[in-house]
Amino acid sequence: MAQVILKDVVKNYGDVFAVNHVSLTVEDGEFVALVGPSGCGKTTTLNLVAGLIPMSGGTVSIGDRDVTDLDPKDRDIAMVFQNYALYPQKSVYKNLAFPLQMRKLPSAEIDKKVRDAARTLDITHLLERKPRELSGGQQQRVALGRALVREPRAFLMDEPLSNLDAKLRVQMRSEIKRFHQDLNATIIYVTHDQLEAVTMSDKMAVMNGGYLQQYDSPANVFGNPVNMFVASFVGSPAMSLIPLTASTSGGTTSLTSPEGWSMPLSDANARKAAKATSSKIVLGARHSTIKVHKSQVPGSVPGKVYTVEPTGDITFAQVFVSGATVNVSVEPSFQLRPDEPVFLEFDQNRLHLFDGETEMALTL
Amino acid sequence: MTTMELSAGAAKRRGAGGWRWSGRIFLAVLVVFTVVPMVWMFITSLKTGFAAMQYPPQWWPAEPTLENYWRLVDPNGSVGRDFIQYFWNSVWVSTITTVLAVVVAVPAAYAFSRFRFPGRNFLFFAVLLRNMFPAVVFLVPLFILMKALGLVNTHGSLVLTYLTFGLPLAIWLLKGFYDNIPIQLEQAARIDGATRFQAFFLIVMPLSTPGIIATSIYSFIGAWNEYIYAYTFLTRHDQMTLPVGIQRFFSENATDWPGLMAATFLMSIPVVVLFLVLQRYFVRALTEGAVKH
Repeated sequence: MAQVILKDVVKNYGDVFAVNHVSLTVEDGEFVALVGPSGCGKTTTLNLVAGLIPMSGGTVSIGDRDVTDLDPKDRDIAMVFQNYALYPQKSVYKNLAFPLQMRKLPSAEIDKKVRDAARTLDITHLLERKPRELSGGQQQRVALGRALVREPRAFLMDEPLSNLDAKLRVQMRSEIKRFHQDLNATIIYVTHDQLEAVTMSDKMAVMNGGYLQQYDSPANVFGNPVNMFVASFVGSPAMSLIPLTASTSGGTTSLTSPEGWSMPLSDANARKAAKATSSKIVLGARHSTIKVHKSQVPGSVPGKVYTVEPTGDITFAQVFVSGATVNVSVEPSFQLRPDEPVFLEFDQNRLHLFDGETEMALTL
Repeated sequence: MTTMELSAGAAKRRGAGGWRWSGRIFLAVLVVFTVVPMVWMFITSLKTGFAAMQYPPQWWPAEPTLENYWRLVDPNGSVGRDFIQYFWNSVWVSTITTVLAVVVAVPAAYAFSRFRFPGRNFLFFAVLLRNMFPAVVFLVPLFILMKALGLVNTHGSLVLTYLTFGLPLAIWLLKGFYDNIPIQLEQAARIDGATRFQAFFLIVMPLSTPGIIATSIYSFIGAWNEYIYAYTFLTRHDQMTLPVGIQRFFSENATDWPGLMAATFLMSIPVVVLFLVLQRYFVRALTEGAVKH
């Protein structure tokens, strides 16, 4: 296994930049998730690491080798595809043997490695079958087997779970995680599902519009999003964002809504707000940091319930506040009705402030 | 189930049965339409020249004879010598056409399917443009061209001509195949250690076998049956292909019907055998595509 380093990687098609100056280092044995909405450049980035498409600029190195100009076959990587890309005309055994045959290993060694990999993934009984005779989950295992049979320096995975049904996805999620731990493998994993990224990865790279937005541990990305995009993309339900205006009077900074109400900020938050480029501030808060009251309490802001979604052990609700939709959660025993007026109290220590112009997080 | 549902079900079954029977009758008529001429061809080929001209016709020859066939395949007789020569000429021209069609169409179709290059759309429609005109329109221009190239009275002129007819369809058909093969298969192969060419040769091309076979059959049959160009481009006897050569049975005075039918029957054999052996792939190519999804 090895370190993977992307330096200033660019891929453009004319004026369209699919990947825009992305730099990141994946440490040896690290599980990194590339995550973002569709079209954000994550799969392109993965294909650039694999060498499947030519780069427009920058370098990629795997281990201590610069592989920028190498063919995929010489990069010593393995890849798992969303549609598994098993060779339809070959049996499972031959699918697993193919990467070894291409490297001209002696057939006795190939046989041993194929059977070892099959045993690891519990697919020995499927070796003589053709891919089309397998279920989705089984095909997924064979695809994993074909990747690990060769002991590559890094694994690249392109949305490997998105073709599976929900139940199987959860199961394979933990299996891939286990696979990472057992092999101490370097894995770059592309997904559009932020939950997959948060639950599986050591670090997540959030991408949008070809740019790398934030590259950090899931806890940090979740807890300290660098901008409004990351804040609203990571976490389910999403962080709520309310555009407001900052104003200071008598030494107290408050956020004011066009509807007329205002909410005083704590000292720390007031200092953050002071760093904004204008008076436009966006307030961000996750559902778990918002308290819902039926009557006004000091510092709370008025809103109106839009929808109520009971899930059993927690009830989610959407509340209109100053034209924005705010996700909140309450105990199932706390009864809410649509169109009911409520008051939201934000935890001053856990709320986020963003610059309304630059959309960047305001920090001390 | 209530009685009403039952009777409704029965009516539905009757309806379906009616459709099925009309389908069968239609197919039976179609089979008779195609098979009867072939049967008549075979029966006539077993008759003597006199029996063939009798009226009312003999449904089955009173004295069936294989003499017409022996005459065609006897290398010592003049008819046999010529027939065998025509036969080999046809095999040669059709085979070369087929091989070249595959050799050119496979990479061309792959390139049209996978690569974006300047002029791609123009070239692709240029390829199809040929098929918008009846073949006979090109007879004179191609003859003049072949004359300029010094290819008149050579098999090369026929091979080139047949390729211009066969290739557009071959490229079109194969491109459909390659479009259906997920690009990830090649990418996987390249990551697994294959070069670009190996990925194509070891993974993609085997998947397009049904398409390649269908293309081959099309080209072969097209070249095997073609008459008008062969008739125009070739005047020397030792160069003629079967469709032209068989003309010899229409002589000035009398037509040797049994001989003609025997020659026609022998001419049909390679195509029928080819089709029977490969029809499995042929049907798959036209109905299924390369990869089941």
